[in-house]
Amino acid sequence: MSQTHSPSRRTFLASTAVAAAVAGGAPLLSACSSGGEGRTEGTTTRKDAEKIVPAYAASRVVEPDIPGENGSRPGFTGRAEPYGKLPASVPEKMGKGGKVTVMSPLWGTPPEKDCAYYRAVDEAIGVHVDWRTQDGNTYGEKLGAVLASSGIPDMVVIPGWEMQGKIHSAIDSRFADLGPHLSGEKAKKYPNLAAIPTEAWRMSIFSGKLKGLPLPAGAVDIIIPYYRQDVFEDKGWEVPTSAQEFMDLAKEITAPKAKVWACEDMKWTAFNVFGTLPEKPYCWEWQGKKLVHRIETDNYLEALEWTRKLYAAGVVHPDAMAVRGDAGTRFTAGQSMMTNDGNAKWYGWTFEQRDRNPDFRVAGMDIFGHDGGDPRLYFAKPADIWAFINKKASRETVEECLAIANFAAAPYGTKENRLIRYGVEGTHYTLKDGVPAKTPQGVTEVQDTYFFTAGPEAVAAFPDHPQVVRDWCGWQRRMGAFMRKPLLYGMQVREPNRWANLGDQFEDLEDDVVRGRKKISDMQRAIEDWRRAGGDELRDWYRKLIDEVGESAA
Amino acid sequence: MSHSTAPGEAPAGGTGPTGMAPAPHIAPAAPAGSPTADGDPPDGRPAGGRRTRRKAARASVPPGGVTWRHRLRRDRTLVLMTLPALLLVLVFAYVPLLGNAVAFKEFDPYIGESFLESFELSPWVGFEQFQRMGEDPYFWAAVENTLVIFLIQLVFFFPVPILLALLINSVVSPRVRAWVQGVLYLPHFFSWVLVITVFQQIFGGAGIIAQVMREHGGGGFDLMTDPGFFKFLVTFQLVWKDAGWGVIVFLAALAAVNHELYEAAAVDGADRWRRMWHVTLPALRPVIAMLLVLRVGDALTVGFEQILLQRRAVGTGASEVLDTYVWNVGLENGDFGYAAAVGIVKGIFGLVLVLAANKTAHLLGEQGVYKK
Repeated sequence: MSQTHSPSRRTFLASTAVAAAVAGGAPLLSACSSGGEGRTEGTTTRKDAEKIVPAYAASRVVEPDIPGENGSRPGFTGRAEPYGKLPASVPEKMGKGGKVTVMSPLWGTPPEKDCAYYRAVDEAIGVHVDWRTQDGNTYGEKLGAVLASSGIPDMVVIPGWEMQGKIHSAIDSRFADLGPHLSGEKAKKYPNLAAIPTEAWRMSIFSGKLKGLPLPAGAVDIIIPYYRQDVFEDKGWEVPTSAQEFMDLAKEITAPKAKVWACEDMKWTAFNVFGTLPEKPYCWEWQGKKLVHRIETDNYLEALEWTRKLYAAGVVHPDAMAVRGDAGTRFTAGQSMMTNDGNAKWYGWTFEQRDRNPDFRVAGMDIFGHDGGDPRLYFAKPADIWAFINKKASRETVEECLAIANFAAAPYGTKENRLIRYGVEGTHYTLKDGVPAKTPQGVTEVQDTYFFTAGPEAVAAFPDHPQVVRDWCGWQRRMGAFMRKPLLYGMQVREPNRWANLGDQFEDLEDDVVRGRKKISDMQRAIEDWRRAGGDELRDWYRKLIDEVGESAA
Repeated sequence: MSHSTAPGEAPAGGTGPTGMAPAPHIAPAAPAGSPTADGDPPDGRPAGGRRTRRKAARASVPPGGVTWRHRLRRDRTLVLMTLPALLLVLVFAYVPLLGNAVAFKEFDPYIGESFLESFELSPWVGFEQFQRMGEDPYFWAAVENTLVIFLIQLVFFFPVPILLALLINSVVSPRVRAWVQGVLYLPHFFSWVLVITVFQQIFGGAGIIAQVMREHGGGGFDLMTDPGFFKFLVTFQLVWKDAGWGVIVFLAALAAVNHELYEAAAVDGADRWRRMWHVTLPALRPVIAMLLVLRVGDALTVGFEQILLQRRAVGTGASEVLDTYVWNVGLENGDFGYAAAVGIVKGIFGLVLVLAANKTAHLLGEQGVYKK
């Protein structure tokens, strides 16, 4: 992955969406704003949402081997059937042969515009897609300009972490209301879309209208602290179970002379270890009668302080200190032994290293409470990446777009899902003993593109690495047990415009504090400033919102 | 910037106070007798106001008997040739300037269907964005960083290409010379991403130097994450990457020096140093002055990509400069109105700087970038 910019929160979070699994699952940076009218601010009540979302109609083709529990993803460990034997969820072509332009982020090297994969999927859907892919790492920079121009593609994929500034306003003014096509029973026409979990659809309501086609995330899809299982076992290191143990082990592991450091930047794990609230808009909790923001909690400062100690102890890789290079590369190369990343990496690294380093094994460590007790965790957003359809698109074009989305949302174990995820059998992958293996052409061409136009319920399914599925699902089930819902969970909240940029400097400040360039007292001063500059008003606004719509949608 | 072709304001004779004028054969200043000076009124002093002079030229036939129309007809080929360039400047430089008007609005580009409609619908806020700047500590921190980095680069970067040019010029063998030039130019063609990665690999906390030190029992070493050193680090990187490239202009100026001057100086008994001091350096003076004026005018632009790439390595406290600030506020956070306001202030400040620097150059007897 070429990273022309230093990895920031956004690119970091985006990494969770890449490679194999589903996006989201992390607390996200999503400043919301509006054109200023009160009508579009706030959220949609559960009652109103029920009238808008599609009527749920389950459609599961294969029963999972590991059922979901505590919000974990259902896992499939069975062998893959040949394409010919798979059932079809879209028996008849829904496309009418039209042409649709789609803009989407792409993490990786884009394939040729007219590659065999695109044409095969287009042929199966019955719509010709003209892909306008953009580098996922710098997607936000392009997005703003495209949305402000008159040349908006028919379909645009927008991740939640790019929705700061005035993007919400663009969603209101630039994209079509899909309610007339999908609300309630109308969704029957698109069975795969109707099978998308209702929580994900509820997150797709922007300013009271059904606007997005969601890619559902697993409720336990949070940032995972990974460790090198192979090296740990080899050296006899115990996986830490408290903040202190982590620190002690980190000091033991670190051997700069041998170019080995214990960990990468662990800020994200620290937030989980210390039970810090998620980010906007689920960043509030009641402390007695007072509504408190995540940055005002002790947990937030404690998490930063602990991360700072890691840096000060010299156990963090120096390149992480400089925010250069790719943490994952250092981790897989053995320069660092622990890191944190999105859940897609569990499979992604295993797949990537299978030939290079056959001994390589990665595992997620159970998140511990800082004192060694149970951690306090929060559920991930039910969806955090959507495809939107241009408001100016004709009815025919909208239907073509929905045909694409319905195809892409086919559940695991169907012909459509196989085609989207693996390409054409024999060309893009070969199937041997129930294990699909991508060919070089498959690796080049089959990337996450159609994938982002809508997705089925989030599952864990890697026929080539069933052990990863078992480990990952086990981790999710255990972590799911410690999870709770933050206030307003499951609602798409839009803050008023005047506070849109209120918290902009906090990410930089956090990075300064953990790297020892600024003190915790500087952070406390910034929090004071934040209160004065509008934080207290924002608090009142949220209090009113919670009074109005209730504490949670799900 | 050159206005020397505008009617009625050609440099009339001399180049101002010529007491210290450079050797005439390398001075590009148009002396009397250059084509544009033909139609000048005989009195030719650039004393009168530009407007009144132009009006006079249009209204009545000037004493010289050549009207505006005559000139247009005479120079029509030249005028036609410059038209496409003018058009490009107009479309890509001046029309977009109008967009700066969003600095006076709470601009939301998505509120309307088109830019104009969005512009129309966004509320006016007057000078609020500019007032906000005054109270914004992040803005002032960015201004301070920008100026500090500019000054350090002026002192430590600007003279380097001149010295290099003198050095190359003293190399006699053409083959060695070409080779040295090639080596010096090459880094210019590396992207900043690459340059900074190489620096990280060498000077970073896990870089070559740090590892060698550790192997010999020393502690760590990390040049790349020290906020205090950052301003020197970026200058260092700039020298590595672009000093060689900067040599080209000076070499061109040196190539124009008449060799007879050196011979004459040598005959008069001047040694190498004296020849450099009295022949070479005076030859470079106008170029140095011009580049200096340009650089000062560009003072608030101190390397966008280079700094953006390293922003998080040292924190915004040390690395936020005006350009990255505008990028962050405008593109990252979508606060277009404020970003435009900061951009305008930057532009005005740059204009003032260039005028001041040019004036200073004139006072020192140099031609500067342009002349009235």
